[in-house]
This record gives sequence, C-alpha cells and structure tokens, in this order.
Amino acid sequence: MSLNRDIVIKGAKDAFGAPAAILFAGMLGFGAMGQANGLDIWLTSATSFFMFALPGQVVLVEMLVLSASGVTIAVAVTLTATRFFTMCLTLFPQFPEKQRSSFYYLVVHLVAMTAWAVSMRDFPKMKPEDRLSYFTGFAFVCWAVSTPATVLGYMLAGQVPSYINLGLVFINPLFFLLTFTEVKPRANRIAILLGGAIGLLSYLWFPDYSLLIAGLLGGTMAYMIDKHFRNRRHA
Amino acid sequence: MLEPSELSTMFNDAGMWAALIAACLGTYFWRGLGVYFSGKISQESELFKWLSAVTYAMVAALTVRIILLPVGLLATVPISIRLGVSIVALVIMYSKPGERMIPALLVGTFGLVLYGLAMNFLS
Repeated sequence: MSLNRDIVIKGAKDAFGAPAAILFAGMLGFGAMGQANGLDIWLTSATSFFMFALPGQVVLVEMLVLSASGVTIAVAVTLTATRFFTMCLTLFPQFPEKQRSSFYYLVVHLVAMTAWAVSMRDFPKMKPEDRLSYFTGFAFVCWAVSTPATVLGYMLAGQVPSYINLGLVFINPLFFLLTFTEVKPRANRIAILLGGAIGLLSYLWFPDYSLLIAGLLGGTMAYMIDKHFRNRRHA
Repeated sequence: MLEPSELSTMFNDAGMWAALIAACLGTYFWRGLGVYFSGKISQESELFKWLSAVTYAMVAALTVRIILLPVGLLATVPISIRLGVSIVALVIMYSKPGERMIPALLVGTFGLVLYGLAMNFLS
C-alpha cells in the first residue's frame, strides 16, 4: 500500500461539497427515522458506522419495527447489498495491480453508491496510480460524516418538521438518479434504462429478488445490445 | 406505528443487536467477496463490461424503486409529485450536461419540501 498524501487530501477535499452534504442529509433523515421508529440511538448510529449502506439500513429499521425474525432481517439486508459485489468488481480492477494489498479489505468498507458513482465517472480522467489514494480520501470523508449525521438526525428528530425530513430522505435517491445522466458507456446507459424498468416490474412479484433479477437480466441484455452494435461497426 | 414500549416487548435488545450484526456481516460479505475476485478481472475485458452493465442495472433498479415504490415517509407523497419533481430535476440536469447537478438537486429537494409545506398548510 502506498498512498500519495496530496492525492488523498485532494479526494477528501472533493468529497467535502455536494457528495458529503448529500450523504449528511440522507443520514440525518435516517437518524430521524430511527428515532421515530423507537430504536435506540446506539443501534441507529451503529448501522451507519458498521453497515454504511443507506438502503440496507432503511430495510433493517423497517423490518425491526415489523418485528421480523433476525434471520429474515439478515437475509433481506444481505440481498439488498448484493450490488456491492459487482460494484467492487468494477471498481478495484481500475487500481494498478501492484497496489493490491490487504488494505483493500479495509478500504472496501467505504465503498458505497456515492463514492462509487463519482469514481466510475472520474477514474478514466485520472492517472491509474492516483486512483486508490483519491478514492481513499474521498470515500473516507463520505463514511466519516455519516455516523455524526445519524446521531444528529436522531437527536433533532422531534424538532425537525416533517416537510424538511421529506427533502432529506429524497435527496439521496435523487442524487443517484441525476448521476445516471452522466454515465458515458453505451452499455451502461442501456443497462440503467432496462434495470429501472425490470426492477419495477419484478418488485411487484419478487420483492426480495427484484434487484438481482433487474441486474442480471437488464445488465445482460444491455451488454448484448451494446455488443451487437460494436460488432456491426467493426464488420 | 408501534409505541417504543410496545416495540421493546416484542423484540428484545439482544435480538435487535444480533440482527444488526448479521446484517452488517452480510453487507461486508459482498464487499469482501468483490475485492477477492476483483484481482482476476481486467478492466479491458468483456467480463468487466458485462459486470459494469449488471451493476448499473442493479443500482438503477434500486434508485427507481426508492423513488416510485418507496416505503415510510416518502410513501406519504403521491407518485405524481415524486415523478414530477424527478422529471423537472432531470430536465435541469440535461439543460447543461455536467454543470447543473447542484441546481437540479436543490430544485428537486425544495420541490418535495414545498409539497410537504403545502400539505401542512392545507390540513
């Protein structure tokens, strides 16, 4: 592991702006949700520290409130986290192979949608040897603001009017939706359209597996459509 | 909605923490597995292209689901408002690609806050 201090700081600086603010808002909203559902502050904030995956955290809180069994909860949350597998499979190969070390297993905890989306967009413009340092700084800031924001959201829950909370819980999904417009590769653009549509349909029948179905089906179809056009151009 | 006191009688603290720990391990499992296998994939390969498409499809499905079929607080907002606000934000984003993220986010967020305010005022 050889992180370049200047690049780490650059990544951290870039995160302190819209990305950290968006995560902060989302986690504020999540803290308020934990309070409103009668969870204790330690449990609510521990999810941000140890899980750091907002959609999974929301599922956890909802299922705790429905008093689902521990096994059911673990399975449901684990299924929503499947995306991390392919997110990591597409993120880490962009770091030079000589930088690979056990540090990856630590920094991987910081992988979440915000840092991933920004990395996928900006890595092609960056020197490969700078990417790991940049990601470490960027993603660490995203993770580091999350737990304090959750605690603050929990403590302010009673005082914040519900219309503000509406904005806070909407800002994260809206941010992801907007980052999709900046995705360049054609296969990935098609995948976003197909995945969104298939995800909605499959959620109506198989809510637990809808993300997997949408990913595999939509992604594979998008890949094949893109490949078809690539082959035609070369022919 | 359950009262906190009712909740604690239905689900003891130890059970909640056990569920939390299992959920955190399940989440880390995918992250760790991704790192483990990532060494075998070249970013120029066809496999990488396919995996990228699968990931974007999955993330898009999650995002669309949260916006169109939400649970909790967002579910109290009619779908027409959620959809309308999202479309306005997307239009702003496309009006100058790459430069309108913050305005689009602010307009979308305030759109929802305004809806909440209006409902407060009318009720």
